[in-house]
Amino acid sequence: MKSNFKRIIEKWIPQNIKVLDLGCGDGDLLEHLKDSKNVNGFGIEIDISKANECLRRNIPVMQCDIDEGIKDFDDLDFDIAIMANSIQCLKNPNLALQNILNISNKCIVTLPNFAHWSCRLDLFLGKMPVTKNLPVPWYETKNIHLCTIKDFEELCNNLDLHVIEKLYLNNNFKESTLTKLLPNLFAAEGVYLIERK
Amino acid sequence: MIVETKKILIDSKLECASGEALEGFELMTDFYGQLNDKKDNAVLVCHAFSGSHHAAGKRDNNIGWWDEFIGPDKTIDTNRFFVVSVNNLGSCFGSSGPLSKDKNGERFNNNFPQLEVIDWVESQKMLADKLGIKKWHLVVGGSLGGMQSLQWAVSYPKMVKKVGILAAAAKTSSQNIALNEVEREVIRKDSDFHDGKYLEFNKSPAKGLKAARMLGHITYLSAKNMDQRFGRKLQNTDSKIAEDVDFEIENYLQYKGGKFAESFDANSYILLTKVMDKFDIAHGYDDSLESALENITAEVLVVSFTSDWMFPTRNGKEICLASIKANKKCSYIELEGEHGHDSFLYPNEDYQNAIKNFIESK
Repeated sequence: MKSNFKRIIEKWIPQNIKVLDLGCGDGDLLEHLKDSKNVNGFGIEIDISKANECLRRNIPVMQCDIDEGIKDFDDLDFDIAIMANSIQCLKNPNLALQNILNISNKCIVTLPNFAHWSCRLDLFLGKMPVTKNLPVPWYETKNIHLCTIKDFEELCNNLDLHVIEKLYLNNNFKESTLTKLLPNLFAAEGVYLIERK
Repeated sequence: MIVETKKILIDSKLECASGEALEGFELMTDFYGQLNDKKDNAVLVCHAFSGSHHAAGKRDNNIGWWDEFIGPDKTIDTNRFFVVSVNNLGSCFGSSGPLSKDKNGERFNNNFPQLEVIDWVESQKMLADKLGIKKWHLVVGGSLGGMQSLQWAVSYPKMVKKVGILAAAAKTSSQNIALNEVEREVIRKDSDFHDGKYLEFNKSPAKGLKAARMLGHITYLSAKNMDQRFGRKLQNTDSKIAEDVDFEIENYLQYKGGKFAESFDANSYILLTKVMDKFDIAHGYDDSLESALENITAEVLVVSFTSDWMFPTRNGKEICLASIKANKKCSYIELEGEHGHDSFLYPNEDYQNAIKNFIESK
């Protein structure tokens, strides 16, 4: 994970809390948060080689599918759950979001904005977007529920979720005048800290 | 690799969970590698139901049950770690059990105290004390060995840094107990069993033991694995073990069962299946797994195999979820495994990497 992206997420994480990272990859975010915020982290990762990398870093991990995994998680209790670029890979993102907020007080969601101008351009030219943060062609991508910044915020509204913080980032994971002005057109990523109202 | 096999006498009383006691006992033990000066590189490897202390290396034409995992540069690297592998009490490979004699010089036969997993842990704790090992770097095992590992982490939290629970469960299921009871019944009903006193009559209930093992063996494999290996292939006429064998799978089970019956003791078989049946780590904690795991300080790795129908993946997941709920450091790895329940014995890159990374992480 890009280091400036990690720094952004880190800002919203208090010291010594219990963090669940859904789709934690090789565990580098949790390792970073363990070092910088002394969090008690736990990751979920479907890919065995990435999960094994978590073991090497001594990051507790459950190797399973997020959709399947969180069904068994109903009695767990976390302070913050993180879904860094994984919500669009889930079978039922809306249900998952609600389930996650049953077991975690807050949730950080980051997502690629499918309405970014580069996606719009590709679609205008009649092609499925292949961009900097959506680099995989349509036939190989794990992204089955892509959405736009507008869509996600609408979903939060419909689910009665409170967006505590949000950031609109460009391809370099930075906020700019343009991303602030017209996020759904210029932001490549939306980053949200949400909770139940 | 330095290899040593020793029969170690523990000259103190073992009070068993059943209320019975053993006045001293012997543990047949293998050692691989070298204990360092700080005595902090010791790994305890716990064998499964019918295994033995012989975990690595070749001896009398037999290869250790975890040979691919233990050795120089292997999963448990004996250049770094000192591996201790104990034949469990009640078994029949040199440790005290039904074949050994009591203090009056009489063979125990079926009167050996009925043990529980916790008694094994107590016996191994006495061994650790004798060896001067204050903390295991790792206690690991598969199946019944995984149950021992879990029991170690619960019973002696300060003595276990890491624990590996492979193809195991926090308790045996009703189905596990049912199958074990059929196996025991088949042994008891052998006319040579003589209520467990067969050796006094110079007999052996080998037919019953063989049939019991044949049933047991099926539970260790997966349906898919059996179909791939044997399918509906017919056995060659010239290599048939028994007259009425038609299929390869029948011949295989006949062969494996027969071989097993030559080297295993029927009273041990009954005793060890009972040990398995009695295991329930949450017993004594209001049946709450989370409460049972409360004392654990070790880092935990649970591995389950989707092809295992003896201890299905939900058993492994349950341990991991309860650990997380109890605020423990626990990881769970789920692999298909090509060999059903027995998958924990077989080398596989992802599986071995998981164990190695877990052991060697800081």
